[in-house]
Amino acid sequence: MLKKRIIPKFLVHGGRLIKGVRFTENWREAGNPVSTARVYDSYGVDEMIFVDIDATPNGGVVDGRIIERVSEEVFMPFTVGGGVTKLEQIEKLLAQGADKVCLTTAALRDPGFVTRAAQRFGDQCIVVNIDYSDTPEGRQVFAACGGEATKHTAFDWALRMEDAHAGEIMITSIDRDGSMSGYDLDLIHRLSERLEKPLIASSGAGSLDHCRQALDAGASAITISSMFIFSDHSPIKVRSYLSSNGLNVRSQTGSRS
Amino acid sequence: MIAVVDYGFGNVRSLWNALDFLGAEAEITRDPEDFDTADRIVLPGVGAFGDAIAAIRELGLEKPLTRHALETRKPMFGICLGMQLFANHSAEHGGHDGLGWIDAHVDRICPKDRDVKVPQVGWNTLQVKGAEWLFSGLPAQQNDVYFVHSYHMLCTDSHDLAATTNHGGLVTAAISRGNLTATQFHPEKSQDNGLRILQNWLEHDFDA
Repeated sequence: MLKKRIIPKFLVHGGRLIKGVRFTENWREAGNPVSTARVYDSYGVDEMIFVDIDATPNGGVVDGRIIERVSEEVFMPFTVGGGVTKLEQIEKLLAQGADKVCLTTAALRDPGFVTRAAQRFGDQCIVVNIDYSDTPEGRQVFAACGGEATKHTAFDWALRMEDAHAGEIMITSIDRDGSMSGYDLDLIHRLSERLEKPLIASSGAGSLDHCRQALDAGASAITISSMFIFSDHSPIKVRSYLSSNGLNVRSQTGSRS
Repeated sequence: MIAVVDYGFGNVRSLWNALDFLGAEAEITRDPEDFDTADRIVLPGVGAFGDAIAAIRELGLEKPLTRHALETRKPMFGICLGMQLFANHSAEHGGHDGLGWIDAHVDRICPKDRDVKVPQVGWNTLQVKGAEWLFSGLPAQQNDVYFVHSYHMLCTDSHDLAATTNHGGLVTAAISRGNLTATQFHPEKSQDNGLRILQNWLEHDFDA
Protein backbone atom coordinates (compact mmCIF):
# COMPACT_ATOMS: atom_id res chain seq x y z
CA MET A 1 0.00 0.00 0.00
CA LEU A 2 1.12 3.51 -0.79
CA LYS A 3 2.63 5.23 2.26
CA LYS A 4 1.64 8.62 3.63
CA ARG A 5 4.49 11.05 2.98
CA ILE A 6 6.39 13.32 5.34
CA ILE A 7 8.01 16.20 3.45
CA PRO A 8 10.24 18.90 4.91
CA LYS A 9 9.63 22.16 3.08
CA PHE A 10 12.52 24.60 2.80
CA LEU A 11 12.42 28.24 1.78
CA VAL A 12 15.48 29.50 -0.06
CA HIS A 13 16.53 33.14 0.22
CA GLY A 14 19.87 34.37 -1.11
CA GLY A 15 21.15 30.80 -1.38
CA ARG A 16 20.41 30.02 2.30
CA LEU A 17 17.42 28.49 4.03
CA ILE A 18 15.18 30.75 6.06
CA LYS A 19 11.90 30.41 7.86
CA GLY A 20 9.44 33.08 8.95
CA VAL A 21 5.92 33.48 10.22
CA ARG A 22 2.89 34.23 8.00
CA PHE A 23 5.17 34.86 4.98
CA THR A 24 6.33 38.24 6.33
CA GLU A 25 7.47 38.28 9.96
CA ASN A 26 10.21 36.99 12.15
CA TRP A 27 12.55 35.59 9.49
CA ARG A 28 15.18 33.29 10.87
CA GLU A 29 18.23 31.72 9.29
CA ALA A 30 17.78 27.98 8.87
CA GLY A 31 21.00 26.67 7.35
CA ASN A 32 22.70 25.64 4.14
CA PRO A 33 20.35 23.94 1.65
CA VAL A 34 22.76 21.23 0.54
CA SER A 35 23.96 20.08 3.95
CA THR A 36 20.40 20.29 5.28
CA ALA A 37 19.20 18.10 2.42
CA ARG A 38 21.87 15.57 3.32
CA VAL A 39 20.77 15.49 6.96
CA TYR A 40 17.09 15.02 6.10
CA ASP A 41 17.98 12.35 3.56
CA SER A 42 19.76 10.45 6.32
CA TYR A 43 16.57 10.66 8.39
CA GLY A 44 14.77 8.95 5.52
CA VAL A 45 12.15 11.62 4.86
CA ASP A 46 9.98 10.74 1.87
CA GLU A 47 10.54 13.81 -0.31
CA MET A 48 11.74 17.39 0.03
CA ILE A 49 10.40 20.68 -1.29
CA PHE A 50 12.56 23.74 -1.98
CA VAL A 51 10.88 27.06 -2.74
CA ASP A 52 12.98 30.06 -3.73
CA ILE A 53 11.02 32.96 -2.26
CA ASP A 54 13.18 35.61 -3.95
CA ALA A 55 12.36 34.36 -7.42
CA THR A 56 8.84 35.66 -8.13
CA PRO A 57 9.28 39.10 -6.44
CA ASN A 58 12.59 39.60 -8.28
CA GLY A 59 11.25 38.32 -11.58
CA GLY A 60 13.79 35.50 -11.55
CA VAL A 61 13.67 31.74 -11.30
CA VAL A 62 14.79 29.31 -8.62
CA ASP A 63 18.57 28.98 -8.38
CA GLY A 64 19.49 25.88 -10.40
CA ARG A 65 22.95 25.53 -8.87
CA ILE A 66 21.39 24.58 -5.56
CA ILE A 67 19.24 21.99 -7.33
CA GLU A 68 22.29 20.47 -8.99
CA ARG A 69 24.19 20.28 -5.70
CA VAL A 70 21.25 18.71 -3.88
CA SER A 71 20.77 16.16 -6.62
CA GLU A 72 24.45 15.18 -6.36
CA GLU A 73 24.10 14.61 -2.63
CA VAL A 74 20.76 12.87 -2.13
CA PHE A 75 19.11 10.06 -4.05
CA MET A 76 15.53 10.88 -3.22
CA PRO A 77 12.70 12.82 -4.84
CA PHE A 78 12.42 16.55 -4.50
CA THR A 79 10.21 19.34 -5.78
CA VAL A 80 11.35 22.87 -6.56
CA GLY A 81 9.42 26.07 -6.92
CA GLY A 82 9.90 29.79 -7.28
CA GLY A 83 9.32 32.03 -10.27
CA VAL A 84 8.72 29.29 -12.83
CA THR A 85 6.69 30.66 -15.74
CA LYS A 86 8.11 28.93 -18.84
CA LEU A 87 8.31 25.35 -20.11
CA GLU A 88 12.03 25.75 -20.79
CA GLN A 89 12.59 26.60 -17.12
CA ILE A 90 10.85 23.39 -16.08
CA GLU A 91 12.90 21.39 -18.55
CA LYS A 92 16.07 22.89 -17.11
CA LEU A 93 15.10 22.24 -13.47
CA LEU A 94 14.27 18.63 -14.26
CA ALA A 95 17.54 18.24 -16.11
CA GLN A 96 19.32 19.65 -13.04
CA GLY A 97 17.84 16.89 -10.90
CA ALA A 98 14.43 18.07 -9.67
CA ASP A 99 11.59 15.56 -9.97
CA LYS A 100 8.63 17.88 -9.73
CA VAL A 101 8.03 21.58 -10.13
CA CYS A 102 5.77 23.61 -7.90
CA LEU A 103 3.67 26.41 -9.46
CA THR A 104 1.84 29.05 -7.40
CA THR A 105 1.79 32.50 -9.00
CA ALA A 106 2.27 31.24 -12.56
CA ALA A 107 -0.85 29.08 -12.23
CA LEU A 108 -2.90 32.11 -11.14
CA ARG A 109 -1.59 34.40 -13.87
CA ASP A 110 -2.03 31.79 -16.61
CA PRO A 111 -3.98 28.62 -15.70
CA GLY A 112 -3.29 27.30 -19.21
CA PHE A 113 0.39 27.09 -18.30
CA VAL A 114 -0.41 24.28 -15.83
CA THR A 115 -2.07 22.31 -18.62
CA ARG A 116 0.74 22.92 -21.10
CA ALA A 117 3.34 21.92 -18.52
CA ALA A 118 1.39 18.75 -17.65
CA GLN A 119 1.10 17.82 -21.33
CA ARG A 120 4.81 18.24 -21.87
CA PHE A 121 6.19 16.73 -18.64
CA GLY A 122 3.27 14.59 -17.44
CA ASP A 123 0.70 15.50 -14.79
CA GLN A 124 2.76 13.83 -12.08
CA CYS A 125 5.51 16.41 -12.56
CA ILE A 126 3.40 19.47 -11.79
CA VAL A 127 2.48 20.38 -8.21
CA VAL A 128 0.16 23.37 -7.91
CA ASN A 129 0.52 25.18 -4.59
CA ILE A 130 -2.28 27.38 -3.27
CA ASP A 131 -1.40 30.16 -0.81
CA TYR A 132 -4.54 31.37 0.95
CA SER A 133 -5.61 33.47 3.90
CA ASP A 134 -8.87 33.81 5.81
CA THR A 135 -10.56 37.04 4.73
CA PRO A 136 -14.20 38.19 4.64
CA GLU A 137 -14.27 36.57 1.16
CA GLY A 138 -13.49 33.16 2.69
CA ARG A 139 -10.22 31.31 2.14
CA GLN A 140 -8.92 33.80 -0.37
CA VAL A 141 -6.10 32.74 -2.71
CA PHE A 142 -3.00 34.97 -2.96
CA ALA A 143 -0.30 35.30 -5.62
CA ALA A 144 3.29 36.58 -5.35
CA CYS A 145 4.20 35.11 -1.93
CA GLY A 146 1.03 36.43 -0.32
CA GLY A 147 1.47 39.90 -1.78
CA GLU A 148 -1.41 39.94 -4.22
CA ALA A 149 -5.04 39.01 -3.51
CA THR A 150 -7.03 37.17 -6.17
CA LYS A 151 -10.75 36.56 -6.63
CA HIS A 152 -10.41 32.80 -6.09
CA THR A 153 -11.19 30.74 -3.02
CA ALA A 154 -8.87 27.86 -2.09
CA PHE A 155 -11.44 25.08 -2.46
CA ASP A 156 -12.64 26.11 -5.92
CA TRP A 157 -9.13 26.89 -7.14
CA ALA A 158 -7.93 23.44 -6.06
CA LEU A 159 -10.68 21.75 -8.09
CA ARG A 160 -9.94 23.96 -11.06
CA MET A 161 -6.23 23.14 -10.88
CA GLU A 162 -7.02 19.43 -10.74
CA ASP A 163 -9.03 19.85 -13.95
CA ALA A 164 -6.10 21.77 -15.44
CA HIS A 165 -4.01 18.58 -14.97
CA ALA A 166 -2.01 19.42 -11.88
CA GLY A 167 -0.56 16.13 -10.60
CA GLU A 168 -0.81 17.11 -6.95
CA ILE A 169 -2.41 19.98 -5.07
CA MET A 170 -0.62 21.61 -2.13
CA ILE A 171 -2.52 23.93 0.20
CA THR A 172 -0.63 26.52 2.24
CA SER A 173 -2.43 28.61 4.83
CA ILE A 174 -0.64 31.95 5.13
CA ASP A 175 -2.25 32.51 8.55
CA ARG A 176 -0.88 29.24 9.88
CA ASP A 177 2.56 29.49 8.28
CA GLY A 178 5.21 29.33 10.99
CA SER A 179 2.53 29.48 13.70
CA MET A 180 2.92 25.81 14.70
CA SER A 181 -0.77 25.89 15.64
CA GLY A 182 -2.01 22.94 13.57
CA TYR A 183 -3.07 22.32 9.97
CA ASP A 184 -6.31 23.55 8.39
CA LEU A 185 -8.14 20.28 9.01
CA ASP A 186 -11.50 21.41 7.68
CA LEU A 187 -10.12 22.29 4.24
CA ILE A 188 -7.93 19.16 4.16
CA HIS A 189 -10.94 17.01 4.91
CA ARG A 190 -13.26 18.62 2.34
CA LEU A 191 -10.66 18.74 -0.41
CA SER A 192 -9.26 15.25 -0.01
CA GLU A 193 -12.81 13.90 -0.30
CA ARG A 194 -13.33 15.74 -3.57
CA LEU A 195 -9.92 15.49 -5.26
CA GLU A 196 -8.91 12.46 -7.27
CA LYS A 197 -5.29 13.56 -7.08
CA PRO A 198 -3.04 13.57 -4.01
CA LEU A 199 -3.38 16.48 -1.58
CA ILE A 200 -0.31 17.83 0.21
CA ALA A 201 -1.18 19.70 3.41
CA SER A 202 1.25 22.49 4.25
CA SER A 203 1.71 24.96 7.12
CA GLY A 204 0.73 24.69 10.75
CA ALA A 205 2.64 21.64 11.99
CA GLY A 206 3.75 22.21 15.56
CA SER A 207 3.25 18.88 17.31
CA LEU A 208 3.29 15.20 16.52
CA ASP A 209 -0.45 15.10 16.92
CA HIS A 210 -0.95 17.88 14.36
CA CYS A 211 0.73 15.61 11.83
CA ARG A 212 -1.54 12.72 12.70
CA GLN A 213 -4.64 14.93 12.46
CA ALA A 214 -3.75 16.17 8.96
CA LEU A 215 -3.14 12.66 7.63
CA ASP A 216 -6.26 11.31 9.33
CA ALA A 217 -8.22 14.14 7.72
CA GLY A 218 -7.24 12.69 4.33
CA ALA A 219 -4.01 14.37 3.20
CA SER A 220 -1.72 12.11 1.14
CA ALA A 221 1.30 14.01 2.40
CA ILE A 222 2.20 16.70 4.93
CA THR A 223 4.95 19.27 4.78
CA ILE A 224 6.80 20.32 7.93
CA SER A 225 9.10 23.34 8.30
CA SER A 226 9.27 25.22 11.62
CA MET A 227 8.64 22.11 13.67
CA PHE A 228 11.73 20.42 12.21
CA ILE A 229 13.88 23.53 12.17
CA PHE A 230 13.02 25.06 15.55
CA SER A 231 11.88 22.17 17.75
CA ASP A 232 13.46 18.87 18.74
CA HIS A 233 11.04 16.78 16.66
CA SER A 234 13.00 14.82 14.08
CA PRO A 235 11.44 12.99 11.11
CA ILE A 236 12.24 9.73 12.90
CA LYS A 237 10.13 10.79 15.88
CA VAL A 238 7.26 11.92 13.63
CA ARG A 239 7.32 8.64 11.74
CA SER A 240 7.36 6.44 14.80
CA TYR A 241 4.52 8.46 16.37
CA LEU A 242 2.41 8.17 13.22
CA SER A 243 3.16 4.51 12.83
CA SER A 244 2.20 3.74 16.44
CA ASN A 245 -1.07 5.61 15.77
CA GLY A 246 -1.93 3.26 12.93
CA LEU A 247 -0.87 5.43 9.99
CA ASN A 248 0.86 3.78 7.07
CA VAL A 249 4.29 5.45 6.89
CA ARG A 250 7.68 4.28 5.70
CA SER A 251 10.26 3.09 8.15
CA GLN A 252 13.52 3.11 6.23
CA THR A 253 16.41 5.49 6.50
CA GLY A 254 17.97 7.36 3.62
CA SER A 255 20.60 7.02 0.92
CA ARG A 256 23.99 5.50 1.74
CA SER A 257 23.05 4.85 5.36
CA MET B 1 30.72 2.45 -19.91
CA ILE B 2 27.01 2.86 -19.19
CA ALA B 3 25.19 5.00 -21.76
CA VAL B 4 22.38 7.08 -20.27
CA VAL B 5 20.15 7.94 -23.22
CA ASP B 6 19.40 11.66 -23.40
CA TYR B 7 16.42 12.34 -25.65
CA GLY B 8 15.07 15.32 -23.72
CA PHE B 9 12.59 13.39 -21.57
CA GLY B 10 14.58 12.02 -18.71
CA ASN B 11 16.05 13.02 -15.38
CA VAL B 12 19.42 12.10 -16.84
CA ARG B 13 21.43 13.99 -14.27
CA SER B 14 19.84 12.28 -11.24
CA LEU B 15 20.48 8.95 -12.89
CA TRP B 16 24.05 9.85 -13.75
CA ASN B 17 24.61 10.97 -10.13
CA ALA B 18 23.35 7.65 -8.77
CA LEU B 19 25.44 5.57 -11.22
CA ASP B 20 28.47 7.72 -10.47
CA PHE B 21 27.94 7.26 -6.73
CA LEU B 22 27.91 3.49 -7.30
CA GLY B 23 31.25 3.72 -9.08
CA ALA B 24 29.99 3.12 -12.60
CA GLU B 25 31.40 5.09 -15.51
CA ALA B 26 28.28 6.65 -16.99
CA GLU B 27 27.89 8.92 -19.98
CA ILE B 28 24.87 11.04 -20.89
CA THR B 29 24.53 10.75 -24.65
CA ARG B 30 22.30 10.66 -27.71
CA ASP B 31 25.04 9.54 -30.07
CA PRO B 32 24.34 6.02 -31.45
CA GLU B 33 28.10 5.41 -31.68
CA ASP B 34 28.22 5.62 -27.89
CA PHE B 35 25.52 2.95 -27.71
CA ASP B 36 27.81 0.70 -29.77
CA THR B 37 30.74 1.10 -27.39
CA ALA B 38 28.63 1.06 -24.19
CA ASP B 39 28.55 -2.10 -22.07
CA ARG B 40 25.04 -1.29 -20.94
CA ILE B 41 22.33 1.23 -21.78
CA VAL B 42 19.85 3.00 -19.51
CA LEU B 43 16.69 4.55 -20.94
CA PRO B 44 15.22 7.01 -18.43
CA GLY B 45 11.99 8.90 -19.02
CA VAL B 46 9.76 11.52 -17.47
CA GLY B 47 6.86 13.02 -19.36
CA ALA B 48 4.18 12.11 -21.85
CA PHE B 49 4.49 8.86 -23.86
CA GLY B 50 3.55 10.33 -27.25
CA ASP B 51 6.04 13.20 -27.11
CA ALA B 52 8.79 10.92 -25.81
CA ILE B 53 8.48 8.28 -28.53
CA ALA B 54 8.27 11.04 -31.15
CA ALA B 55 11.52 12.52 -29.83
CA ILE B 56 13.26 9.12 -29.94
CA ARG B 57 12.20 8.72 -33.57
CA GLU B 58 13.09 12.27 -34.60
CA LEU B 59 16.55 11.92 -33.09
CA GLY B 60 17.06 8.70 -35.06
CA LEU B 61 17.47 6.64 -31.88
CA GLU B 62 14.78 4.00 -32.41
CA LYS B 63 16.77 1.87 -34.86
CA PRO B 64 20.10 1.79 -33.00
CA LEU B 65 18.40 1.23 -29.62
CA THR B 66 16.21 -1.55 -31.00
CA ARG B 67 19.25 -3.21 -32.56
CA HIS B 68 20.96 -3.35 -29.16
CA ALA B 69 17.78 -4.42 -27.39
CA LEU B 70 16.92 -7.29 -29.72
CA GLU B 71 20.04 -8.19 -31.78
CA THR B 72 23.28 -7.44 -29.94
CA ARG B 73 21.25 -8.06 -26.76
CA LYS B 74 23.04 -5.52 -24.63
CA PRO B 75 21.78 -5.20 -21.04
CA MET B 76 19.25 -2.36 -21.09
CA PHE B 77 17.40 -0.76 -18.20
CA GLY B 78 14.24 1.31 -18.69
CA ILE B 79 13.00 3.55 -15.91
CA CYS B 80 9.47 4.94 -15.46
CA LEU B 81 8.39 6.29 -18.86
CA GLY B 82 11.55 4.61 -20.24
CA MET B 83 10.06 1.29 -19.13
CA GLN B 84 6.71 2.04 -20.76
CA LEU B 85 8.45 2.80 -24.06
CA PHE B 86 9.57 -0.87 -24.16
CA ALA B 87 5.91 -1.84 -24.79
CA ASN B 88 4.04 -2.26 -28.08
CA HIS B 89 1.52 0.45 -27.38
CA SER B 90 0.31 3.00 -24.84
CA ALA B 91 -3.23 4.26 -24.35
CA GLU B 92 -1.97 7.63 -23.05
CA HIS B 93 -3.44 10.72 -24.79
CA GLY B 94 -5.18 8.93 -27.65
CA GLY B 95 -2.74 6.04 -28.09
CA HIS B 96 0.79 5.69 -29.46
CA ASP B 97 3.00 2.83 -30.63
CA GLY B 98 6.05 2.10 -28.50
CA LEU B 99 9.37 0.43 -29.23
CA GLY B 100 7.77 -3.03 -29.09
CA TRP B 101 10.63 -4.80 -27.29
CA ILE B 102 8.30 -6.37 -24.73
CA ASP B 103 4.90 -7.79 -25.65
CA ALA B 104 2.87 -5.44 -23.48
CA HIS B 105 0.60 -2.45 -23.53
CA VAL B 106 0.48 0.58 -21.27
CA ASP B 107 -2.76 1.62 -19.63
CA ARG B 108 -3.97 4.03 -16.97
CA ILE B 109 -4.05 2.85 -13.36
CA CYS B 110 -7.71 2.33 -12.44
CA PRO B 111 -8.08 1.92 -8.69
CA LYS B 112 -11.35 0.38 -7.55
CA ASP B 113 -11.32 2.45 -4.37
CA ARG B 114 -12.04 6.18 -4.64
CA ASP B 115 -9.70 6.93 -1.75
CA VAL B 116 -6.80 5.71 -3.88
CA LYS B 117 -5.39 8.70 -5.76
CA VAL B 118 -3.95 8.81 -9.29
CA PRO B 119 -1.15 9.63 -10.02
CA GLN B 120 0.40 7.22 -7.59
CA VAL B 121 2.98 9.44 -5.90
CA GLY B 122 5.17 8.10 -3.13
CA TRP B 123 6.68 5.02 -1.55
CA ASN B 124 5.12 1.61 -2.01
CA THR B 125 6.10 -1.97 -1.22
CA LEU B 126 7.26 -4.46 -3.84
CA GLN B 127 5.96 -7.99 -4.28
CA VAL B 128 8.72 -9.84 -6.10
CA LYS B 129 7.44 -12.20 -8.81
CA GLY B 130 10.65 -13.04 -10.68
CA ALA B 131 14.22 -11.85 -11.42
CA GLU B 132 15.11 -12.26 -7.74
CA TRP B 133 18.66 -11.12 -8.49
CA LEU B 134 17.37 -7.57 -9.07
CA PHE B 135 15.99 -7.33 -5.53
CA SER B 136 18.61 -9.28 -3.63
CA GLY B 137 19.74 -7.63 -0.42
CA LEU B 138 16.59 -5.53 0.06
CA PRO B 139 15.10 -5.68 3.57
CA ALA B 140 12.17 -8.11 3.28
CA GLN B 141 9.61 -6.04 5.19
CA GLN B 142 10.89 -2.63 4.10
CA ASN B 143 11.47 -2.85 0.38
CA ASP B 144 9.60 0.39 -0.43
CA VAL B 145 10.58 2.28 -3.57
CA TYR B 146 9.46 5.60 -5.01
CA PHE B 147 6.72 5.73 -7.65
CA VAL B 148 5.33 8.70 -9.53
CA HIS B 149 3.07 7.72 -12.43
CA SER B 150 -0.49 7.51 -13.77
CA TYR B 151 0.06 4.71 -16.32
CA HIS B 152 1.62 1.27 -16.03
CA MET B 153 2.67 -1.59 -18.26
CA LEU B 154 0.63 -4.79 -18.64
CA CYS B 155 2.68 -7.72 -19.96
CA THR B 156 1.11 -10.36 -22.21
CA ASP B 157 3.57 -12.99 -20.96
CA SER B 158 3.37 -13.17 -17.17
CA HIS B 159 6.92 -14.57 -17.11
CA ASP B 160 8.14 -11.05 -17.94
CA LEU B 161 6.74 -9.71 -14.68
CA ALA B 162 9.45 -9.18 -12.04
CA ALA B 163 7.56 -7.26 -9.35
CA THR B 164 4.18 -5.72 -8.63
CA THR B 165 2.89 -3.23 -6.12
CA ASN B 166 -0.60 -2.62 -4.78
CA HIS B 167 -2.32 0.67 -5.53
CA GLY B 168 -6.04 -0.01 -5.48
CA GLY B 169 -5.25 -3.18 -7.47
CA LEU B 170 -2.11 -4.74 -8.92
CA VAL B 171 0.30 -2.34 -10.58
CA THR B 172 3.33 -3.51 -12.58
CA ALA B 173 6.47 -2.36 -10.76
CA ALA B 174 9.25 -4.16 -12.65
CA ILE B 175 9.80 -6.45 -15.61
CA SER B 176 12.67 -8.62 -16.77
CA ARG B 177 13.12 -10.51 -20.02
CA GLY B 178 16.61 -11.66 -20.98
CA ASN B 179 18.80 -8.59 -21.43
CA LEU B 180 15.87 -6.22 -20.84
CA THR B 181 15.12 -4.94 -17.33
CA ALA B 182 12.77 -2.11 -16.42
CA THR B 183 11.18 -0.52 -13.38
CA GLN B 184 8.14 1.72 -13.11
CA PHE B 185 9.58 3.16 -9.89
CA HIS B 186 12.66 5.38 -9.75
CA PRO B 187 15.63 3.45 -8.33
CA GLU B 188 17.79 6.59 -8.61
CA LYS B 189 15.34 8.32 -6.23
CA SER B 190 14.62 5.43 -3.86
CA GLN B 191 17.45 6.05 -1.40
CA ASP B 192 19.20 2.87 -0.14
CA ASN B 193 16.75 0.42 -1.72
CA GLY B 194 17.01 2.06 -5.12
CA LEU B 195 20.79 2.24 -5.05
CA ARG B 196 20.85 -1.46 -4.18
CA ILE B 197 18.61 -2.30 -7.14
CA LEU B 198 20.83 -0.29 -9.51
CA GLN B 199 23.90 -1.98 -8.05
CA ASN B 200 22.29 -5.41 -8.55
CA TRP B 201 21.64 -4.56 -12.18
CA LEU B 202 25.18 -3.28 -12.70
CA GLU B 203 26.63 -6.46 -11.21
CA HIS B 204 24.29 -8.97 -12.85
CA ASP B 205 25.90 -11.27 -15.40
CA PHE B 206 23.41 -11.38 -18.26
CA ASP B 207 25.44 -13.97 -20.21
CA ALA B 208 25.33 -16.55 -17.43
